Amino acid sequence: MTELFIRLMRRPQGFIGVLLLALIAAACLFGSALAPYAPEKIDFLGRFRAPGWQNWLGADQFGRDILSRLMVGARSTVPLAFIATFVGSAAGAIIGVGSAYLGGRTDEAIMRTNDAVMAIPGLLMALLLVSTLGNGAGNAVIAIAVAFAPGMARVTRSAALNVRNQDYVKAAIARGEGAHWIIFREMLPNVMAPIVIESTIRVSFAVMLFATLSFLGVGAQPPASEWGLMVADARQYMHQAPWGLIAPSAAIALTAIAFNLVGDGLRDALNPKDER
Amino acid sequence: MLSVSRRLFLAGTAIGLAGLPRIAFAEAPKRGGVLRMSVDQAASVIHPMQARVNPEYLVTELLYSNLTRLKSDMTVEPDLAISWEPNATLTEWTFKLRPGVTFHDGSPLTADDVVATINAILDPKTASPGRTNVGPIKEVAAVDPLTVKLTLTGAYADLPVALTYLNARIVPAKVIASDLASLSTTANGTGPFKLASYEPDRRIVVERNPAYYDPARPYLDRIELLVYPDRTAEASAMISGEIDLLLTTTPGEYERLVKADGVKALRTPSGQFLNINLGCDQKPFNDVRVRQALALAVDREATVGFVAGGYGTPGNDTPLSSAYHFYKNIPLKKPDIAKAKKLLADAGYPNGIDLTLVASDKPSTRTQLGVAVREMAAAAGFRINVQTMPHATYLDQVWKKGNFYVGFYNMQPTADAIFNLLYTSNAAWNETHWNNADFDKVIDAARVEADDAKRTALYAKAQDMMNAEVPSVISAFFDLLAAQRSYVDGYVLHPRGSVFRLDMVSLGAGAPKRA
Amino acid sequence: MTPAWFARRLMLMVYTVIVVSMLVFTITQILPADAAQSLLGENATPEMLAALRAKLGLGDPAWLQYAHWARHVFTGDFGISMRTSLPVGPEMLTALSRSLLLAVSAILVTLAVAVPLGVLAALRQGKLTDTGVSLIAYLGVSLPEFVTATLLALLLADTLHWLPATGYVSPLEDFGDSIRHLALPVLTVSVILVAHVMRMMRSETLDVLKSDYIRAARLRGLPERTVLFRHALRNALLPVVTIIALDVGYLLGGIIVIEEIFAIPGIGRALMVAITTRDLPSIQAGALIMAATYAVTNTFADMAYAFLDRRIRYD
Repeated sequence: MTELFIRLMRRPQGFIGVLLLALIAAACLFGSALAPYAPEKIDFLGRFRAPGWQNWLGADQFGRDILSRLMVGARSTVPLAFIATFVGSAAGAIIGVGSAYLGGRTDEAIMRTNDAVMAIPGLLMALLLVSTLGNGAGNAVIAIAVAFAPGMARVTRSAALNVRNQDYVKAAIARGEGAHWIIFREMLPNVMAPIVIESTIRVSFAVMLFATLSFLGVGAQPPASEWGLMVADARQYMHQAPWGLIAPSAAIALTAIAFNLVGDGLRDALNPKDER
Repeated sequence: MLSVSRRLFLAGTAIGLAGLPRIAFAEAPKRGGVLRMSVDQAASVIHPMQARVNPEYLVTELLYSNLTRLKSDMTVEPDLAISWEPNATLTEWTFKLRPGVTFHDGSPLTADDVVATINAILDPKTASPGRTNVGPIKEVAAVDPLTVKLTLTGAYADLPVALTYLNARIVPAKVIASDLASLSTTANGTGPFKLASYEPDRRIVVERNPAYYDPARPYLDRIELLVYPDRTAEASAMISGEIDLLLTTTPGEYERLVKADGVKALRTPSGQFLNINLGCDQKPFNDVRVRQALALAVDREATVGFVAGGYGTPGNDTPLSSAYHFYKNIPLKKPDIAKAKKLLADAGYPNGIDLTLVASDKPSTRTQLGVAVREMAAAAGFRINVQTMPHATYLDQVWKKGNFYVGFYNMQPTADAIFNLLYTSNAAWNETHWNNADFDKVIDAARVEADDAKRTALYAKAQDMMNAEVPSVISAFFDLLAAQRSYVDGYVLHPRGSVFRLDMVSLGAGAPKRA
Repeated sequence: MTPAWFARRLMLMVYTVIVVSMLVFTITQILPADAAQSLLGENATPEMLAALRAKLGLGDPAWLQYAHWARHVFTGDFGISMRTSLPVGPEMLTALSRSLLLAVSAILVTLAVAVPLGVLAALRQGKLTDTGVSLIAYLGVSLPEFVTATLLALLLADTLHWLPATGYVSPLEDFGDSIRHLALPVLTVSVILVAHVMRMMRSETLDVLKSDYIRAARLRGLPERTVLFRHALRNALLPVVTIIALDVGYLLGGIIVIEEIFAIPGIGRALMVAITTRDLPSIQAGALIMAATYAVTNTFADMAYAFLDRRIRYD
């Protein structure tokens, strides 16, 4: 583990990615304590105030401090994307490994159905689900998780098929171990690497998907300071106060870049194929 | 007993009205040309009896005509009816139809068409929103081919205004008899324009009706209606000259449009408002002190800034703005947090109160009001959680059922219409359940009062009652905002928000040639 | 590439469409908020609601509605829109044709830009060009479409006035104007696609360049240009077919947002409008057509891959 981390940090993209992630984590943990203003404090005279000493990143249409909203909003943006990805990946991984373990016609049936579900684009799937469950950040998390699961199932299953043919799995089956044991103790641990890489990159998709759902009005709801919602709100005033648009957009982009960098870094660190 | 002047006031006359444009031009309006305009949502219903939103009202106004028409000062003028007269008790009204009017298919307009139309609107099976809005009509009959008599269930002074209602467009009797639903995809009216093509989500095109009853109008050859759902992009299209007219815009875009070259930004005060409905029959708002406390916590001037971007007028908890004829200028409520706290404590909430305010997501100003009120009322001890939901869910689950939510209403043509729509005990949408018998009596008396001064006094009393008892907090009225290219002549932004009169519009010097 | 393989692949496509149709139908069945209420809006009275519900057939049990719907869909009849009273099928297909115009243009732009850049980055691995290309790629995949769209419109339409900010013109009516109006949306979609395809192209080219037969080709003394274009590029391009086909899924989702912003009356916007107004027949038809488009594209991509693979890899 430590060795992996060192290898990750030795690559520039890994190093920058980890640095950015640390920054984002700090914002999630200490954002609300460090924010200069309350994120929902309205100020009639401060409406659309340009960035300056009073509001470093400017103020929005209610005179709320954008920096404070960004800092506090980190907590309602990044962890949710993370949870959505985690749940989706876990569900997908279990389906994928389970399908590979069962093999044969069952595997075929599961994977074909899985592929069929993947034919519905992720955003459309999420939109339909949120409309069914009701708008809101919590339901957006569930929708994103469901939208992610089939893709993860496919990735996991192809890795698991290799593991399935390894001797130690065959031995465990010969020993008469239960399906539960084989899937969770023998196969899953050995397909963790591709799952982790794929999931890390997918967190960046989740951040963007979450923002998009908020933009379409079905994700986080006002007065939340979720970043996608901040961008969506600021769009209405983008010619009066472009700073309202730029700051949260940059935050979303940086977060997505960070997870992409770390994901790529992990991939290289785990499969050092450039060194062959 | 009605005085002579009263009868003249109520009866319509066609003298000199139909042929003359409302606005004096330096020169006569130029004929011809294509007007390209945009709306922010699709006109997905062109059935005149079923239209529900402004772009749909626009299309049906182009294609059809009512008996009467609402002018921008909220009085009526003749349209298909050239004159009308009530009986002494205001329970029977006789309308004379304009002779020689034809539908787009060439068939003549007769009293039978009017009778069939009104009966169809009143038929619950038609499911027309006009059913509760065209007036208390009991019976309608054709006296002769050009005369219609309407019998009412009670006295009603505003019938000619009610007949301007947006769903009361006259359609041919033979369509009603054979296939009324066909009006969802085709059109056959008496309006200034004919339907040329209908692709609701992309473009609707109408062309001049050469047989329109007024030979001078319409001036335009063709109107193209495009759907631009994004308000920001729509304003950009106006600035770059892609479109000639946009019907409505946001305060933020309005400021950009004011500064743009070749664009004339339009603004008119209106009676359109957002309110916070308080369920007066349930805890905690059954206690008038809680309602008064909330009213005193809201800074009305600030609300106009937050919600209307400054383009509006503060409200005083009555639905009448200065754009209404019977508006009473009551001194504006100033925020008084100390008094609000005391009222709340007296009502039994010394430690404040927790509430959930529901706001639908359309239009977005509902949520903005919720967010602003939440912060303003916090100081007085109201801990408000703002819950937003899709408009469809809101209509289904909260509207008329909830006891604390944000409502949004267009200006109505008369004071009677807005009070009877929302605040009397038997209002069509009695959301607040205020059910104040004294208030009902005042409104009923005003409804049949012939004398304008007495009527003014009655409506003043009604406004005082609402201001004092606060069945709903009305803190801001919106100005209507729109924009046109400067070469567009004759467009008047109507305070009602749903009357457009594009038959008066022409293209002046500098207009681009559009194929 | 036997006939049996083809038949199997086609059957899978049909299976996909059936699964999707059931899924979509189930979701539309449990959508909250009543279509009748949402249609009539604030003017609805109880009698009016009851009348409209009966008219729309909202009272039947779910399986009956599905059987009824599936039978009609099979004959090409997707029903009548609850919102506009127009037939859903033709409306959705017209919308799809506009979306495909956008999607195909975006793919062409992507190929023209991403392939050379990806190869260039691979050839200059580790140099400044490579880093620059990678940075652009990271930025491209890290901005949600609505942000990219907004920023591009702000720059190219509102500030520089090069392109119209919104609107759709049919290429059959005015070709030049149509292209001008398509430019911004195509550019927006392309940003993410370019980033994605460029990264793939770079890593594929790197893999191919390290492969044994390229080394063999070099050892044989073939000129670098021949090695690169005749062998490396052709092999590296192969997976791009699959990537593009998979990106069609992203594309179809992404156009929902892009069509909304740029007022393109395509299938994405039609679906968005249908979802917000709870127009069930339109949601069902739109989602099914979208998924079927994805399934068909991927089936053809698989076939193309199999075909090209046989010809290229072992020549």
